[in-house]
Amino acid sequence: MAQHYSSFDRGGRRWLFQRLTAVFLIGVLAFHFMLLHFVNHAADLTFLGTQARMSQVSYFATMWLFLVTATFHGVNGVYNALVNQGLTGSRKNAVKYLLGIAGLLLVVQGTRVSLAMTTLV
Amino acid sequence: MSTQIEQQETETEADEETEPEVESPGERRRAQRDERQAIEEAQRETEEASLDDENTITLKVFRYDPEVEGKQEPRFDDFRVPFHKGMTVLDALIYARDHYDSSLTFRHSCRQAVCGSDALFVNGKQRLGCKTQMSELDDPVRIEPLPHQEVVKDLVVDMEHFYDQMEAVEPYFDADETPDDKLEEQRQTRENREKVKMSTRCIWCGACMSSCNIAAGDNEYLGPAAINKAYRFAMDEREGENRKQERLRIIEQEHGVWRCQTQFSCTEVCPKDIPLTEHIQELKREAVKNNLKFW
Amino acid sequence: MSQSYNRGTVEDFGRWREFSAGMWAWIFHKFTGWVLVGYLFTHIAVLSTSVGVDPASAQAGSDLYTSTISGLESLLIVRFLEVGLLAVAVFHILNGIRLLMVDLGVGLESQDKSFYASLLLTGAIVVASVPTFLGGKLA
Repeated sequence: MAQHYSSFDRGGRRWLFQRLTAVFLIGVLAFHFMLLHFVNHAADLTFLGTQARMSQVSYFATMWLFLVTATFHGVNGVYNALVNQGLTGSRKNAVKYLLGIAGLLLVVQGTRVSLAMTTLV
Repeated sequence: MSTQIEQQETETEADEETEPEVESPGERRRAQRDERQAIEEAQRETEEASLDDENTITLKVFRYDPEVEGKQEPRFDDFRVPFHKGMTVLDALIYARDHYDSSLTFRHSCRQAVCGSDALFVNGKQRLGCKTQMSELDDPVRIEPLPHQEVVKDLVVDMEHFYDQMEAVEPYFDADETPDDKLEEQRQTRENREKVKMSTRCIWCGACMSSCNIAAGDNEYLGPAAINKAYRFAMDEREGENRKQERLRIIEQEHGVWRCQTQFSCTEVCPKDIPLTEHIQELKREAVKNNLKFW
Repeated sequence: MSQSYNRGTVEDFGRWREFSAGMWAWIFHKFTGWVLVGYLFTHIAVLSTSVGVDPASAQAGSDLYTSTISGLESLLIVRFLEVGLLAVAVFHILNGIRLLMVDLGVGLESQDKSFYASLLLTGAIVVASVPTFLGGKLA
């Protein structure tokens, strides 16, 4: 309720990052779709083809950033949606940590995958 | 037209009848008035009996009263009211209350879109009863209390939470520095006045808050009206930098501006045409800019 | 105040016929967002087949990663799901651009038109892409 605004939890940073990642994702998601469905047909993908692409530094870096920003954008989006629906208190905290861990695990696994696909390392 | 002429005739008749009796002027006037009313009532009754579908409108009004048995389960009552040019939803409700059911309850006061008492949910949209023409609405006209607020009785909702949120943004002018001479005017530039002009038009009717999907889900969300109020003062240059920082701290909490999902529902229903979404968005950018300075 | 009657949330989505453009845009954006974040997790899970691929079988094109992807792509249902994914992604991108404009305070008066535009454009792009997605070897 109105009187209980005591903790000044500034949500502005997450709001800004959600927008900044959005700008990046608009370009990269469109590029990703074009490359893997139109330039290279999805059905013709092979491990060697993937490896060749992932072994270029710029492509590797773009894809890894894609992973991180998409994870943040998605997980933060889910969290926002739940807060908008009135999630509060300890359940809100539980969801916050659960989503945080899920996001972190996704980035870790995604990084393992990207390392398996590249000859750079 | 014909009714007006009849009225004049009956008035003169009434005068003649009451004159011979010896009474105080007040009593005489009251007696005249009572008689006039009785005659008007009779006229109305014949009028209603002659109502045809062409000049009547059907109202379907939400009814609920926890204190009356038989009304504890919400229902819709139908009222057939005569239509006249320029009739508003509030006029129709007043007619229904005065002629059919005196227990029909709704808030109204100024009847000119200033007091903000009669925001209602009319045909699926939050509207101000006194500002909505019956001629614009499809028949039958469904009138309900504002959604997302608890119903106290019939069309009356509990506005307490809305007022709490409004007060949370400290909705009063509070400058850092007041002039030495307390009576001196605190002038605003024309440009600054233009900037806050629309936001000052809020009449606290609660239509925006009721239309907001997020305010419905997140009870702590300040809501469009309160954020607009904060905008009105945060953008007022006369208040000074310190006060502005305090105001930004209130609106940039987790349940402040960030909850706005730009659904534009509030902007669409505002009876005073305040660009609410625009103001909320501007405050978001203001808050971000303000925080970037400290990084 | 004695008692009051809470009508619950029935009035929210039960009244979808009365929703306007901005509300629909939000609902679609939220829905496509949930689909995309769900897909992101699934996608990484599928790509995890690339971990520990044997170089010899990769040369022969018979490794787990290659065979998983071509196996999935050989199913007609997967091709249709991919068209659906494209639709979801394109709408989320286009409406996302619209939302960024709204955040910047650009063209707020025409936010409804830009929503309809993003819907139409999504439809057009998806229809134009159907041959590419459904074509190619199905095996």
